[in-house]
Amino acid sequence: MPKSGIFHLLRQGGEPLLDEILAGRGLKVIAGRLALGMTLGAALYGAVFGSWHGPRLAFYVAVKFPLVLFLTTALTLLFSWIAARFLGLPLRLAQAAVLTLLALTVASLVLAALAPVAGLFVWCSPRPTPDARTAHNVLYLMHTFLVGTAGFAGTRALRRALSRLDVPKGTVRAAYAIWIFAFALVGGEVAWALRPFVGSVYAPVSFLRERPLDGNVYEFIVTDVLPHLGRNLDRAID
Amino acid sequence: MNEPKPPATETTPRGLALCHQLLTDPQAPVRHAIAGRPAGGWMLTLLGLLGFALYGAAAGMFQGGTQIALAAAKAPGIAALTLLLCCPSLYIFGALAGARWTPATFRIVAAGLLATLGFLLGGLLPIAWLFSSSSRYLGTVVWIHVLLWIVALALAYRFLSSALRELGARGGAFLWLCLFLIVSFQVTTLLRPVLWRPEGAPLHRFGEKKSFFENLGEAFKVEPAAKVKPAKAAPPTLPLAGASAPRNPKSR
Repeated sequence: MPKSGIFHLLRQGGEPLLDEILAGRGLKVIAGRLALGMTLGAALYGAVFGSWHGPRLAFYVAVKFPLVLFLTTALTLLFSWIAARFLGLPLRLAQAAVLTLLALTVASLVLAALAPVAGLFVWCSPRPTPDARTAHNVLYLMHTFLVGTAGFAGTRALRRALSRLDVPKGTVRAAYAIWIFAFALVGGEVAWALRPFVGSVYAPVSFLRERPLDGNVYEFIVTDVLPHLGRNLDRAID
Repeated sequence: MNEPKPPATETTPRGLALCHQLLTDPQAPVRHAIAGRPAGGWMLTLLGLLGFALYGAAAGMFQGGTQIALAAAKAPGIAALTLLLCCPSLYIFGALAGARWTPATFRIVAAGLLATLGFLLGGLLPIAWLFSSSSRYLGTVVWIHVLLWIVALALAYRFLSSALRELGARGGAFLWLCLFLIVSFQVTTLLRPVLWRPEGAPLHRFGEKKSFFENLGEAFKVEPAAKVKPAKAAPPTLPLAGASAPRNPKSR
């Protein structure tokens, strides 16, 4: 039985674990433990993420945040693996899955470590009322920044794992870029479909919005966020 | 970690084994063809067209209903017609770059490229489904599909350049793939409508000439879409600017 728990991941920069994954040894056990670690880390941060609106949304987000990571993995895994194979990376589907889980587990651990910091800012924010839109936006930006930072840390672990393969550096760079591109593109949309996370200052707390698959995040940015920012900028200039 | 290359005497794989070979040793069919052995060109062609059909079905889910079947039927048509139109240029570009073509190697490179693209689109299927199901605007899904198509072509470049190298060519793949991309846009325009068809509109518009630039621009044209369900009220502070391009009827 491989020693592949969370502590094994943190020991010696995770090198022994990478050896086991790339050798294809004990992948099921490693995947199970990584999935557990990822779920716990993401759930802890998720609870803080949703706590601005109280314990109910905190609980919902603690459930939904790991779900976002699992769903995004499920939707992108096949393409990521096929792309890696086409680029010449000698990975099996199971290894691609475990490497994705590894990156997400590292990101979740970073997020769990940042949970007290995020919790402090949430606790210091005014209560969620229609007048607290600025606080909502600030919290949104903070969580986006922290999740982005943690995601970057996670992908560094992935990059390190891919670099150990016996392939040219350019190939590793291309595979890494494609994995990140696919995960970011789909992850943004999955998170959008499973919203709310911070919680609206206008709508009541709910597990999901009424029509979760109505519209996508990129449309929202183009048709709503950018025009709204533009109007505010115009007003400021006038 | 490198998987062993199949022995020279190996027979042509079929079905799932062919998919596995595409992933592990994509140049094997080309080597078979060079050696004068059967390389499974028809199987590769069928596999590629199947991948396109499945991807087309996922893309058709933007509108749903009969458009799923229509897009599933049109997507392989787009791929086949594009490849057919670009075959002469593949031959000439490859030959000028030094490829020693034979009818068998040419057939297998074309079929292998189609299979590679179909297989990659198969991998992109869940992503295409997600965005087709959730997007409101035709413009969004059009650009998502364009993006995914470019990603698939970028990955297929590796297959084509290696295949041409096996045949003795130096370069030529990138230029030809750029041409292939542009032709695929125009063929899609020729076989329109693929993603969205207003109620009662014809299944094809072969008689109407239009460039792909114009067609891409029309995806964002200011024009009310066919209303199937009542529109959802926008949140009080979130006006939907630019919401006039065709929208996914499911979301209304």
